[in-house]
Amino acid sequence: MMRISMVSVAALAVACLSGSAWAQDNGTLVISTWGFNGDLLEEHLYAPFEEEHGVEIVIDSGNNADRLSRARIRDGGDIDLIYLADAFTQQAIDDGLFAAIDRSQIPNIEQIYPIAQAPHGEEYGPAYTVGRYGIIYDSAATDTPVTSWGDLWRDEFAGQITIPGINTTAGQLIVIAAADQAGVDAFEDPDAAFASLAELAPNLLTTYGRSSELVNLFAQGEVVIAPAQDFAFGRIQDAVPTAVWAELDEGAFANLNAINVLASSDQLELAHAFINWHLDADVQQTMAEVGVDAPVNVNVQLDPETAARWTYGQAVIDSLRTPDYAQLNAVRDDWTDRWNDVIAQ
Amino acid sequence: MSRVLPWLLVMPATLVILILLVLPLLDTVSVTFIQQEGVFAGYQEFFDRRFNRVVLWRTVRIALIVTAIAVAIGFPTAYFIARAPRSWRGILIVASVFPLLTSTVVRSFAWIVILGRNGMINETLMWLGLTGEPLSMLYTEGAIIVGLAYLFSPLMILSLVGVLENIDKSVVEASISLGASPTKTFWRVILPLAMPGVIVGAVLVFTGSFTSYTTPVLLGGQRNTVLSTLMFRQAMVEFDWVAASTIAVIMMVVTITVVLTMSRVARRLNPAAA
Repeated sequence: MMRISMVSVAALAVACLSGSAWAQDNGTLVISTWGFNGDLLEEHLYAPFEEEHGVEIVIDSGNNADRLSRARIRDGGDIDLIYLADAFTQQAIDDGLFAAIDRSQIPNIEQIYPIAQAPHGEEYGPAYTVGRYGIIYDSAATDTPVTSWGDLWRDEFAGQITIPGINTTAGQLIVIAAADQAGVDAFEDPDAAFASLAELAPNLLTTYGRSSELVNLFAQGEVVIAPAQDFAFGRIQDAVPTAVWAELDEGAFANLNAINVLASSDQLELAHAFINWHLDADVQQTMAEVGVDAPVNVNVQLDPETAARWTYGQAVIDSLRTPDYAQLNAVRDDWTDRWNDVIAQ
Repeated sequence: MSRVLPWLLVMPATLVILILLVLPLLDTVSVTFIQQEGVFAGYQEFFDRRFNRVVLWRTVRIALIVTAIAVAIGFPTAYFIARAPRSWRGILIVASVFPLLTSTVVRSFAWIVILGRNGMINETLMWLGLTGEPLSMLYTEGAIIVGLAYLFSPLMILSLVGVLENIDKSVVEASISLGASPTKTFWRVILPLAMPGVIVGAVLVFTGSFTSYTTPVLLGGQRNTVLSTLMFRQAMVEFDWVAASTIAVIMMVVTITVVLTMSRVARRLNPAAA
């Protein structure tokens, strides 16, 4: 919190002192995002935009929960744009933190996969990258390949499986997978879904809160299988070379990280311009090539080696399941209570 | 002037404590009672959930077991140190408080290495053929207890060494010469005289274990929730600051109750001590 204001003040001071040097001074644009790959983002995303628009970009970094918490406490504060994963985007929407976006100011939206154009409705921001939530497992630990969410329930994985906690980005999705096992709809029959989850509970070694924890669990040989987001896969494979990404019959879930404009922002025009910039085909191409994010712009052409590490290509995108986060957020409290009764003890 | 000076000297520290400790604490406490649904609505909600009751009891249970272990390990160790030759005493004290010199995170990671599936204990057990499959020790309540006992036992040793050193040897000799067995001497003479040290140590170990966050997170995992991890989750993940404050107040009440009970027990064992 402090850091932003200090930086803003410093930026302002610099701007005032060197008035003539900043011929086209548009002030500052405060962006709340993850700290991961900050140097690459600075070089390929922020710096070119700053130059073109005569604006100083200030970054407020942290994980989803911390940043959303900071934004909430200050009713948006001085943040103009915020990057959040689906579940957290939905929470912010339900809290009324976002301004409605003006799609006419973001023409590049037309160039991105339909799945990413309006993941939370037309009023809210697009997704700039797409990831998968599926299953990672150690192929050396089993003779039968994992091909379904139901394979998590196999007895051979007892004591060597972990799942993400209910409060994490993808935490609620395991309930949907559990409902599939029971042959019911998780929203209509949560009793059956959680009964199915209760069958998995004794097999769990622990639950994890961050992907770094998961990497450790794999690296130390504590677990051999876990539902996870695909961005963790590379690091797990570094630690466990026999780890594989399972191709699931029911499909993996889509993870869409969205960009939104805060209702409190006084830089609406620049904020829209920045979203448009991040969706630009060239920028998206660079982001994928330097290893920051998977592209959503359909005009991005990746060589097979680069493409292999990302959720890329129409066929892969079409195979993804897209959960309804508005519905998930509505049942969050209820599911958390049920989870606590079934899993957390 | 001489009357005003002490007040002036105390003023800065008092103001710092008032502004940075007392006021925020009052704010934390008061917010839990100022609820639309009623004064105790927050507490009603907390205790209505079975999960919360389980977590509260688990936290108290872990802290009590750790305290008992710390007394059991700490008393003989402290007695040995107190009776050791003076030249050795310093070295022994440094050796016993050595765990306190490294970070909690490092110490907990050491236990992950020891208790893990491919850890030292499991490898030894499997090498000896005592078990075919690695035992699940990590991410259990037992792992938390082991980690906390290791973490806080030095505090018990430190508080006991001072007290035991000051027990007059002639009192012990008198007891023996009057015909009391060593066991009886321990229970009737040494223990009551050492009670102030036991109480100070027990209070430190109990409050430390009861409020610890890092060790339960690293060794217990997310499923073995304790009050401090539950509070963190309420504040930083659920954004429910009132619920987090409610847990903070419950933790304060439990700590104060246990400390008062302990000193009452101590007074009964040794009326002169408390």
